[in-house]
Amino acid sequence: MATFLILAVVMIVGAVGVITLKQPVHAALALVGTLLTLAVTYVTLEAHFLAAIQVIVYAGAIMVLFLFVIMLLNIQGETPPAVLAWFRPLAYIVAVVAAAAIATTAFMEPRSLPDEVQIATALQGGGVEPIADVLFSDFLLAFQLVGVLLLTGIIGAVSLVQRKVVAVQEARADGATKELEHA
Amino acid sequence: MVATEYYVALSSILFAIGAVGVLTRRSAIMVFLSVELMLNAANLALVAFARQWSGAGSITALSGQTAVFIILALAAAEVAVGLGILVSIFRYRASTDVDALAEIRL
Amino acid sequence: MTDLISLAAFAPLLALIGALVNGLFGRAFREPLPGVIASLSVGIGFLLSIIAFFALAAGEETRVSITLWPYLQAGSFELSLGFALDRLSLLMMLIITGVGFLIHVYSIGYMHGDEGFSRYFMGLNLFVAAMLLLVMADSFLLMFVGWEGVGICSYLLIGFWYREKLNADAARKAFIVNRIGDAGFLLAMFLTVTTFGTLDIQAVNEAAGALVFGSSVLGVIGLLYLLAATGKSAQLPLQVWLPDAMAGPTPVSALIHAATMVTAGVYLIARVAPLFAQTPAASAAVAWVGGLTALIAAFIAFSQTDIKKILAYSTISQLGFMFVAVGVGAYWVGIFHVFTHAFFKALLFLGAGSVIHALAGEQDVRRMGGLGKHMRVTGTTSLIATLAIAGVPLLSGFFSKDAILAHTATSELIADYGNLVLYAILLVTAAMTAFYMFRWYHRVFAGEERFPKKLRDSLHESPSVMTLPLVILAVCSVLAGYLGLPEFAFPNWIAHWLEPSVETPVSFLHLSTSLEWLLIGLSVVAAAVGLGLGYWVYERNRGRLVARLEESMLARLSRSGFGFDALYRAVFVEPAEGTASGLSSVDTDIVDRGLRAGASPVGLLARAAALLQSGYLRAYALAMLIGVLVFALIVSLSGVLS
Repeated sequence: MATFLILAVVMIVGAVGVITLKQPVHAALALVGTLLTLAVTYVTLEAHFLAAIQVIVYAGAIMVLFLFVIMLLNIQGETPPAVLAWFRPLAYIVAVVAAAAIATTAFMEPRSLPDEVQIATALQGGGVEPIADVLFSDFLLAFQLVGVLLLTGIIGAVSLVQRKVVAVQEARADGATKELEHA
Repeated sequence: MVATEYYVALSSILFAIGAVGVLTRRSAIMVFLSVELMLNAANLALVAFARQWSGAGSITALSGQTAVFIILALAAAEVAVGLGILVSIFRYRASTDVDALAEIRL
Repeated sequence: MTDLISLAAFAPLLALIGALVNGLFGRAFREPLPGVIASLSVGIGFLLSIIAFFALAAGEETRVSITLWPYLQAGSFELSLGFALDRLSLLMMLIITGVGFLIHVYSIGYMHGDEGFSRYFMGLNLFVAAMLLLVMADSFLLMFVGWEGVGICSYLLIGFWYREKLNADAARKAFIVNRIGDAGFLLAMFLTVTTFGTLDIQAVNEAAGALVFGSSVLGVIGLLYLLAATGKSAQLPLQVWLPDAMAGPTPVSALIHAATMVTAGVYLIARVAPLFAQTPAASAAVAWVGGLTALIAAFIAFSQTDIKKILAYSTISQLGFMFVAVGVGAYWVGIFHVFTHAFFKALLFLGAGSVIHALAGEQDVRRMGGLGKHMRVTGTTSLIATLAIAGVPLLSGFFSKDAILAHTATSELIADYGNLVLYAILLVTAAMTAFYMFRWYHRVFAGEERFPKKLRDSLHESPSVMTLPLVILAVCSVLAGYLGLPEFAFPNWIAHWLEPSVETPVSFLHLSTSLEWLLIGLSVVAAAVGLGLGYWVYERNRGRLVARLEESMLARLSRSGFGFDALYRAVFVEPAEGTASGLSSVDTDIVDRGLRAGASPVGLLARAAALLQSGYLRAYALAMLIGVLVFALIVSLSGVLS
């Protein structure tokens, strides 16, 4: 229980940091903290493989991508939104009520956990092999579809970010004339 | 062993925090980070439920963890495309303010 | 033999193929090709018909039926589609394909340079196919298919130059008026099925012969078929469409509106001759409709000034003669007149077409005259046709018209219905025919030249592709009559030939030879009086009498076509238009306004709902989150989890 509480506090602090810190880089790092804590939580929940890829893929690859974009675009801190100011209190209220409702529902109907032997035999530690067994049998179609989705995502991302050749040439010509004017 | 209810409560708190982030931040990249937070809150609940369902057999129990695996892959794709959109918006507007995008509605 | 006769069944197929080829690929062909294809398809059909004709003549049987396929089967009612090739239908096929072939060839010259060249030949070929279907059908149903087919082709070809509103209107008028007759055909078929339980023409004829003489159901069926026939053959009171139908190209008028389609009504009645022979009342109605039509149309023809409209009224009048013939029970005579009329009327139309061609589209006879000197072939052949239709002895029209007159005078079938009065009417009409045809010829080909001087130098005889058909038709116009010489003294081939096909118990009074000669003498006198009067009025009197009569009541009545158009306009068209405009105002003032009033709150609602789409991402996200909240609350409070 103590482990869980520590992890929960760290996680919540990190999450609050994500939504309150002004600088995007700081917020992203706070999220990394939350995600790493989450990976530890996965270990306590007998999901070792997920814990590993949470660190590698999420905290690693995805967050690096975030940081990369933040630095590429040189995004600075922001000011609170000018429009829809009344949104902020409303958002807090709705979020608190929603969280409270879900949590209360969970506690209203407490379920007892299966005994440890059962958990150990069913999840088998949540290693690579048991996950692979399920993934490549019952979830095979989903797995293949995810593969297609990733491919589409790659193509989409490339085509979104790639500049048109003509636009690039124009930009270069623009730069050249500006340099000439400068001189 | 900590009961599943606690994990669900933690998950809902994280989810609510993420939602507040989506609702209050102006910068698109911050909205994005908050969305990631919400996704992970859902993942936490899934993993907790996977353990809760151990009594129903190996495949049912591991389904929850496998779903998280698939969500991870989805998140990767989503981030790639989402950040791509972000970059191209930034190119045209030199800003990632989501409120400024209100004018592109139909 | 039967195989050779069956060959004729391919004639409509050939014409249909010609129509298909021209319709699908005609635009890609260079000019004479569509005409050549169309002419060949009809020409081969003509050859097949000739082969079948001689095969039938040489063989034993008088009727060959070819069953194509079963069409419908409902309980005990059974109907298969098939052709019946007998002496009557083969003779009609010869007329259709023979005259049709000549007119196709003529059209190659006449339609030269028209942008719708291939479309024209498509329509003409389709018409021939439908007309052949009509005459070859062994059941009323298939006949009706052909009947409608010729109707639609007539519509397409009358409105061939559809960019002129006048032509399109004429086409529509022809179509709509024909629909009335077609409704009669349909009703007649319904009654035929309920009475005889079959639509097979031969079976109906046999069954009708077995029914009681003069039975009322036969009379009603006969009258309904008469209604159908009046529509297609432009008889009273449905004759109004034919004069307007002259808006089509002239060869079309020659083929469809003179030689073939309009005779379908006569053919129909001759086809069901045993039925009509059993019902004197319906037969008398046929004869009287024909007689009155002949008289009135001839009267209207006096004052017309359009070269083609005179011929159109003449056609109506001649069709009236044919109706009298089939009405008095002389079915072979009706077909005989169809046969001779096909030649000289087609010739007259083609001659008129040749004139119109030479005068660059001029159709008003008041601006013609003296053309005989410039167009020798056209003039001469037209003169032959004029004399033939006028009933000058030894030409074809004389024999067939005389046969009609003689049979009317001696008819026993309608003896109770005033056949002698009818005879007198026809005799007068014959004289009138000679008169107005003289006028037509004189105004166009003789007398002073009234056309513009500048046209005089460019006047030319039509090309040989047009004059050759004229010459062939002229020869036929002279000789066709010799197939049906007066029976009492001479061999009569056509009556003998058609006998098995139109065999009925109808009998005619036997007159002494001298009385027969007297009747012939009377018709000769009628023709002579008509022509002489014409000569006096237009050549000697120089039209002074005509000028004086110009404003008389009768002249106005004649010019206005006996007021039928005005009458129909007042009785049918104007009430219909009034109703339509009334309904239209109901639509705009009540229905539309009501709908618009009902729609406005919806519009307001939509505008209010549009406010929800603010464009702010966060607003949408909040809405979604509130949805999640509501969902979570429902789940936790309803206790579905427990």
